[in-house]
Amino acid sequence: MGIKEKYEQNFHNSMILNINDIEEILGGSSDIKKREFYLYEASHIKATLFFIDGLVNEEVIDKTIISPLITKSYESILDKTRPALGVYLSERITKHLVSNPSIATVSKFKDGIDGLLSGQSLLLVDFCEEAFLISTPGWDARSVNEPQTEPVIRGPKDGFVEKLSTNTALVRRRIKDPFFRIESLQLGERSKTEIAIGYIEGIVRDGLVDEVKQRLQDIKIDAIIESGYVEELINDAPLSPFVTVQGTERPDKVSAEVYEGRVAIFVDNTPYVLIVPTHFWQFLNASDDYYSHYLIGSFYRILRYIAFVVSLTLPSIYVMLVSFHIEMLPTPLAITIAAGREAIPFPVLIEALAMEIAFELMREAGLRMPKPVGQAVSIVGSLIIGQAAVDAGLVSPIMVIVVATTGIASFAIPNYDASYSLRLLRFPLLIASGTMDLLGFAAIFVIIIIHALSLRSFGEPFMSPILPMYGTDMKDTMVRMPWWSKKNRPTTAKGDTKREGSNQKPAPPKSNSASKDSQKNNNSN
Amino acid sequence: MKRLLVILPLFFLLSSCIGKEEINDLALVMAVGFDKNEEDEIVITAQIAQPGDVRGDAATAGQTGSPLWTVYAEGKSIFEAIRNIARFSSRRVYWAHNFIIVVNEQVAKEDGIVDVIDFFNRNNQLRMRTWIVITEGEAKEIVATQTGLEVITGESLDKLFRYSRIVAEAPRTDIMTLSAAYMGEHTQPYLAMVSLKNHGIDAEKEFGDVPQVELSGTAILKNDKMVGKLNQRGCRGFYWFVETVESGIIPLTCPEEEGRVSVELRENRFELTPNYKNGLVSFDVSVDSKADLVELGCPTEMEHSEVVDSLAKHVETELKSEIEAMLSTIQGEFKVDSIRLGRTFYGKFPKEWEGLKDDWEDLFPNVPINIDVSVEINDPLLLENPTRPSKD
Repeated sequence: MGIKEKYEQNFHNSMILNINDIEEILGGSSDIKKREFYLYEASHIKATLFFIDGLVNEEVIDKTIISPLITKSYESILDKTRPALGVYLSERITKHLVSNPSIATVSKFKDGIDGLLSGQSLLLVDFCEEAFLISTPGWDARSVNEPQTEPVIRGPKDGFVEKLSTNTALVRRRIKDPFFRIESLQLGERSKTEIAIGYIEGIVRDGLVDEVKQRLQDIKIDAIIESGYVEELINDAPLSPFVTVQGTERPDKVSAEVYEGRVAIFVDNTPYVLIVPTHFWQFLNASDDYYSHYLIGSFYRILRYIAFVVSLTLPSIYVMLVSFHIEMLPTPLAITIAAGREAIPFPVLIEALAMEIAFELMREAGLRMPKPVGQAVSIVGSLIIGQAAVDAGLVSPIMVIVVATTGIASFAIPNYDASYSLRLLRFPLLIASGTMDLLGFAAIFVIIIIHALSLRSFGEPFMSPILPMYGTDMKDTMVRMPWWSKKNRPTTAKGDTKREGSNQKPAPPKSNSASKDSQKNNNSN
Repeated sequence: MKRLLVILPLFFLLSSCIGKEEINDLALVMAVGFDKNEEDEIVITAQIAQPGDVRGDAATAGQTGSPLWTVYAEGKSIFEAIRNIARFSSRRVYWAHNFIIVVNEQVAKEDGIVDVIDFFNRNNQLRMRTWIVITEGEAKEIVATQTGLEVITGESLDKLFRYSRIVAEAPRTDIMTLSAAYMGEHTQPYLAMVSLKNHGIDAEKEFGDVPQVELSGTAILKNDKMVGKLNQRGCRGFYWFVETVESGIIPLTCPEEEGRVSVELRENRFELTPNYKNGLVSFDVSVDSKADLVELGCPTEMEHSEVVDSLAKHVETELKSEIEAMLSTIQGEFKVDSIRLGRTFYGKFPKEWEGLKDDWEDLFPNVPINIDVSVEINDPLLLENPTRPSKD
């Protein structure tokens, strides 16, 4: 019988056989520890505990498993014979002795070993035809920190970590709703990564959860290391440069999205939680928008929309104007640009491509370099690109400004994945407008727009609520309206769509007669 | 899909950048002049900017010392002359940023400016907001003269027209208004005139006078040929009909004593009403003006309130006589409807116009125009008395 078959079979009623099989299946890996002991007052009944070094908390094992088993008595153990003895032991151990909050009995090698490998302790006892899985997790995990990629000025500073249960707890703390559901499943035939999906029943659209589960269950892969694997395997538009599944490190963001009828997908071992369905415009929203004054939030949001357009089109428009459509420039600007380009040996398109690539290079190098040497990149980069290239007459000063503005604008987009895709789209646009003027620019731009409009994310049009237009959702798209004006949940939510009571706009108390009037009005409403 | 991904980049990469003309490969024309030489050829003078020198510090390289490069070339037609510039220009001559077109009076009178209008309408690079003016002297000189504060003198001329409404000495005429008036059914074109006059002072050259370009009246055209010019006084009367008068200084003498008084028009309302009675066309012109007293050089004993009343009458007669003088020139001498009377009439009586339009040229010189001017001079409020010494 091969290892595979052994893995699939049930536990034997002999502990020795069980131990042998387990050791054979696990191949004697050195991180698997075995502890043998005898039960109290019954020196002929032996127990064996398997656990994995580094994944368990040994203090918990000692306190909740080993010490109760070897110090507490087993009444009338001796008058029992098998198989009654096995049943009695099992009952005694799970109900009376082991003080760990989580204990389960398993009857298959597969379940026992999978539990063991995911950090639980596997207890085998003589005469028992089943094994006990006891939860004793205790691996080293990063503590909850501020998210590195999505910092906010005002708002909670906790971010997701690599541990799934911590992540779901961070969200659960923000949604103390009995209808908030978390459902788990395992993905990856070898990695057996825990996946959890979270949603609120009664708000989420009918069929969305089933669709998410279906797509997740359809994944057949050996291992899932990060949520990016899942993202690409459940994506609606696998060939598109646009990201149709949003990933975030912020529990407050996930909670807010779940309240709006979306589904969160937690993946173990990564701090990035996925949210579906995703609209394109969500990538331009920052959590701050919702926490700071609505005017300020709206202002910065509009600024981000401008930044999005600038980062996508500015270099292309500059190249197009300077190399084809000089008549479109105002005369003083045309002369200034011409003055800057007087001694430049390259065509504008080459200049723009070189500068864009130099900028991306600096960004990438700054990201990959060890932090202590990171400063060198910025010094060399700013000197070479900002100063020397202009002084040497290789690059015109206006091109430096254009590329720098574009770069800054792309950093203003809060979601890093989305800003990556915009950076990519910039290059075809740049080449098209540098070779075929306004025609090329317009053609590629229209292709991009048509493509974006054709996308869907879990049944939702990707570009909604702007196209197709949903009137009420406009309150939270280009601008962020005050909370007291957003009476209903957005159209992504179904069922219970009412978000807040009426008359939420704060106002000073009215005089007696006036308040009577308003009460009347309320009643009539 | 895969095929598209291959073909699409080829569209762009194999296009060999059709029509690419980078900004530093172009000679940006800032002003252009049209003259005629003895052999009856068109002489085109082009003022071309040297960007590296225009923007001194902004450019780190490429300076030659002089911000402008003014050149001329002859040819039988405008197009030929322009092509002849290309024979010696190191860069492609580029017209889109031209500020102003200066036409020599001789050209406008003898040959007409239809080719200029046509050339600038036909060429897709060109802007319709380019100023077009006529000069008595050589257009070449206007284009080559260093005038105004801007480094590029074309820009100086551009700004001269942009802010010319304050002085109301010459109408603001660009290719757009010229083409509209030329091609329009009811209108005849007019153009601003400029001339060179010594205004500048060069302290280094023993206070020798430096010529500057100034606005100097209006040229009246019949179809595309110039028929005559209005002097500056006639031009002020003309201005009411073709532009919005924002302000204007009316110089007067004191009512009773020696001395000068100036009144500045502030708020003006101009109305031209056509009438059609018993087959007779007539027009009513009404001008309403509010004015400020800006200069009162009379050592008068009168209070301001008294002076103001008598001055208002003076201003009214002055304005009226300006308009009348202009009308007598236009109707009596040139017999050209440059003041859009026909168009105004058409606006109110489109059916009647159908019967009149063929005879309009003959009718226009004799159309009666009633002028009604009313001027109100603002009370100077706290400034009760004229400025005068209180020593005695």
